[in-house]
Amino acid sequence: MRNRILARAETPLAYAVLLALALVVVFPFYWMFVTSLKSEEQMRSLASMFWPSPVVLDNYRQLLGKTDFAAWYGNSIVVAVSSTFLATAIGTLGAYALARLKFFGRAFMASATLITYLVPPSILFIPLYAQIRNLGLADSLTGLIVAYPSFTVPFVTWLLMGYFESIPLELEESAMIDGATRFGAFRRIILPLAAPGVLAAALFAFTQAWNEFLYALVFITNVKLRTLPVGLSTFITGDVYGWGFLMAGAVLTTLPVIAAYTYLQKYMVEGLTAGSVKG
Amino acid sequence: MATPAARLPASATLGRQRTAVGLAQWLGRDYRLGLLFVAPIIALVLALVAYPFCYAIYLSMTRKYVGVPPVWVGFDNYVKLTWDGFFRRAVYNSFVFTFGSVAVKVVLGMAMALVLMTHVRFRSFWTGVLLIPWVAPTVVSALNFLWIYDYSLGVLNYLLVKVFRILPQGVGWLSEPGTAMASVIAVNVWRGFPFFGISFLAGMKAIPGEAYEAAAVDGAGALQRFRHVTLPGIKNIMIIVVLLSTIWTFNDFTIVYILTKGGPGGATQVLPVLTYEIAFGAQRLGEAIAVALYMLPAMAAVIIVLARYMRRGRAA
Repeated sequence: MRNRILARAETPLAYAVLLALALVVVFPFYWMFVTSLKSEEQMRSLASMFWPSPVVLDNYRQLLGKTDFAAWYGNSIVVAVSSTFLATAIGTLGAYALARLKFFGRAFMASATLITYLVPPSILFIPLYAQIRNLGLADSLTGLIVAYPSFTVPFVTWLLMGYFESIPLELEESAMIDGATRFGAFRRIILPLAAPGVLAAALFAFTQAWNEFLYALVFITNVKLRTLPVGLSTFITGDVYGWGFLMAGAVLTTLPVIAAYTYLQKYMVEGLTAGSVKG
Repeated sequence: MATPAARLPASATLGRQRTAVGLAQWLGRDYRLGLLFVAPIIALVLALVAYPFCYAIYLSMTRKYVGVPPVWVGFDNYVKLTWDGFFRRAVYNSFVFTFGSVAVKVVLGMAMALVLMTHVRFRSFWTGVLLIPWVAPTVVSALNFLWIYDYSLGVLNYLLVKVFRILPQGVGWLSEPGTAMASVIAVNVWRGFPFFGISFLAGMKAIPGEAYEAAAVDGAGALQRFRHVTLPGIKNIMIIVVLLSTIWTFNDFTIVYILTKGGPGGATQVLPVLTYEIAFGAQRLGEAIAVALYMLPAMAAVIIVLARYMRRGRAA
């Protein structure tokens, strides 16, 4: 009897909790979007708090016309796309080797990769900056493209090792009995099967690179070479521009990751749950 | 990378077959392809993680200013920090920030997972919505909350004072020592709880339905089933997620840096932000790295335990 009562109460309660969580999650984004469309006067008068009236695009126009925002956008795209390609290529090959091949030091390297993934950037950023400077890459986008794989590669590798391990060994063996080399079996049999995993890993690597803040803040001093997160954060101290302006930048910065996420949600959720993974 | 494979063609053609077999015995069946595929990772980890890490340990034992060669001082930096009031406060704050955040994230993540396990409609839609904070750029989220918390124009004070009339006047959420830490924790929780939720959910889905049925047959109520079936079933995932989040939260730089820069008056100063400020504000690199590395033994212990759990989780 008690169970039936609980079961009946369960669904409305679940919806209530769900709605509350969703409201808390969505509201900051709604608020960001609404703010970006408000005029300076409306904001100061606290009138029509939750809806822009009138809807103005001044914030976006100013952002794109009067600041380096467009250049930062380009920088972020270049850095995130290049470092994602690099990390996905290196990570996919390495994960396959660590998951499937037999060679000396494999177990050690698998552990080392996992531990590297867990070492936090906040203890590495100063010596890594020194290293990037030694390589002559300080204050350049190339420096970031080289540095970002230091956290995306261990993560991609760890994620894909699990993926490769879940593909039946027989598929590969039968291809090799049919005369394929191990590399051929990897390229024609395993890689296509692992494609969804590779896509998920690449998406996460892209998101991490797109969102990265600390290295970009430390490594880049040239204003024109900033990435979006760092560029946006400098608007706070500016004080010249209002909140509407800042929120317009926030909207445009969020757009690519949310768009990718909406289209490819299935893969990303799968990737997330495939092994307690960072996003 | 000079792998042993690279040396093979140079050896005499006659002995080649035998050498390859011998090496394969020593280095494993697939050593050539294996080492070739892993070489980029080795190079990357050595150049961008291992070397900088060792260099950091060395630098932390020097007096180092930007542009001047380091001077060896042994454990001086660490000893000085131990008695430094600012540093001790940052350590305390880091623990409050980390454990406060992680505890609330466990509770909210559990609520999220349990709710998504019931028969609500459009479950994948709800899952997708609730995961948004986890994929959105942290800087954007922090800026959003900076704006929401704003004293005069922020929407939080507007809601509490003008709409719901809970407070007689607005609160300077980030500028008053009494509320700053809780406000910063709230943002970290907001961003991080979806990860807890989705991981717990994955764990709960893996519990076989028969376990619940058997418990129900034995007369277990909903709470008892949660305690005796659900919790033990997701124990390992909970440990992994809590430890992972502990490391990430303890080292979270972005949220505190954007929201308060450690203020007001050091009330939210945490170790990563202090490291940054000593390094790039005061330009004392040796001391800055000592701040970052002070907690390394504790962190290393957590990382090793966590790595063991994560590997075991994979093997099972």
